[in-house]
Amino acid sequence: MSVKYTPVQWNRVKYCYDALLVAGTILFLAVFLPLPPEALGHTRPVDPQITNARAFGACAFVMLSIILMIGPLARLDDRVLPLLYNRRHFGVLTCLVALTHAYFVLNWYFAFSPTDKWAASLSANTSYGQALGFPFETLGIFALLCLLVLAATSHDFWLKFLGAPLWKGLHMLIYPAYAAVVGHIALGALQSQEVTTFAWITAFLSLGVAGLHLAAALQARMSPDPQAHAVPDPAWREVCDVTDLREGFAQIAQLPDGKRVAVFLHEGQISAISNACAHQNGPLGEGRIVNCLVTCPWHGFQYDVRNGQSPAPFTEKIPTYRVRLKGSRVQVDPVANPPGTPVPPVPLSKAARV
Amino acid sequence: MTGAEIIVEAARIWLWIGAGVAVLFLGFGMAMVDEDADGAFAFRPLLVPGILLIWPLVLWRWGRLAMGSDDWAWRYGPPRAIHMAMAVGLSLAILAFLLGGALVKQSWPADSAPQQLSAPEVSE
Ligand code: FES
Repeated sequence: MSVKYTPVQWNRVKYCYDALLVAGTILFLAVFLPLPPEALGHTRPVDPQITNARAFGACAFVMLSIILMIGPLARLDDRVLPLLYNRRHFGVLTCLVALTHAYFVLNWYFAFSPTDKWAASLSANTSYGQALGFPFETLGIFALLCLLVLAATSHDFWLKFLGAPLWKGLHMLIYPAYAAVVGHIALGALQSQEVTTFAWITAFLSLGVAGLHLAAALQARMSPDPQAHAVPDPAWREVCDVTDLREGFAQIAQLPDGKRVAVFLHEGQISAISNACAHQNGPLGEGRIVNCLVTCPWHGFQYDVRNGQSPAPFTEKIPTYRVRLKGSRVQVDPVANPPGTPVPPVPLSKAARV
Repeated sequence: MTGAEIIVEAARIWLWIGAGVAVLFLGFGMAMVDEDADGAFAFRPLLVPGILLIWPLVLWRWGRLAMGSDDWAWRYGPPRAIHMAMAVGLSLAILAFLLGGALVKQSWPADSAPQQLSAPEVSE
């Protein structure tokens, strides 16, 4: 959570996460680099620069695959959520590894190009009309450009400046980037290898990524958050019954404008806030109340459920909703209050709590 | 100038304009639109690569925030519905690349004759 921006917001957990990331990357490269040429499908020894390029390329692909698996896995199973916590650092490291791959490629295959190396890489092969011999380099350049945009806009400043929905839209570039990476490998490195191990690894990881995303999307479609029901009074919408509420947790409902409201029960009182966290629009209603504060399940931003404000000195705010009880039915006013607006919580009557 | 050289030159110009926007925005624009950035300087160099790459978006958001025409409500509407389309598109693209790559792959017996994939370009 930001007060004044700092270059990198590290804490103990993030130090451990990053140390594991760096150690994993070094381990991958340490295993890959000494592989004998036959293991990589080469019939003759290859130059170290080519091995370097392939090692960093393979490492970037594996890292990107893992990054793309974390999101849907966390949707399917809460226990994966800790991996989501610092995924942006994972992304930045992946971008650096991919850049190193590009550096080795450009400075080897295009080292003596009379034209600019980037221009040479774009013009060396322009057979876009054929699958065999397709200029797979262009796919790699496109993916690298996407990774650069994502890594360069990963600081929390960008989230606040662009707004979470726009930021998330921009970061969906990761999907075409990953597809391009798979194309880059399938039409590039795999074409020249007689050993099928890497083809299987590529297929296993990429189809795993695709399968997990399809599974998470299907799950969201098959068990969507319930709609808030219309009631005779058009100014209100019904979310749930008081018996559905559990102390410290929320019921989520979709409102007519497509937004989601999270209705929390805290110390026997009902409050309603936006389900979208101010940070990356994480699902606050899937979090719980810790130390009197709603805690986002994605990266731990916290809000007072009665006013949608982060505790001082933090400044994040989320919209709140008016809430009322009609008998045992919980109703909200579907028009959100501006972020940080205090709303008096509604106490559960004794009868309703029985 | 070849097509590739034009692309690289355009990229260079894009980055130079981005550098100009970065100087203006980091110099005095950002503190106007984000109070958390006021007095915080150490993190600003980290934003330079992002501004170089997406400076038109920076200018657009800067304008909206500076004019106070940013509507708060849209910030709390995540684009969740797009995920299904992305997942399907990604899966189809991956399948196409894997299958396409496997189908066109040639094996390389040591004595195979060279095969021309496409006609050579005729230079005038
Ligand atoms: S989305 Fe990051 S803390 Fe809520």
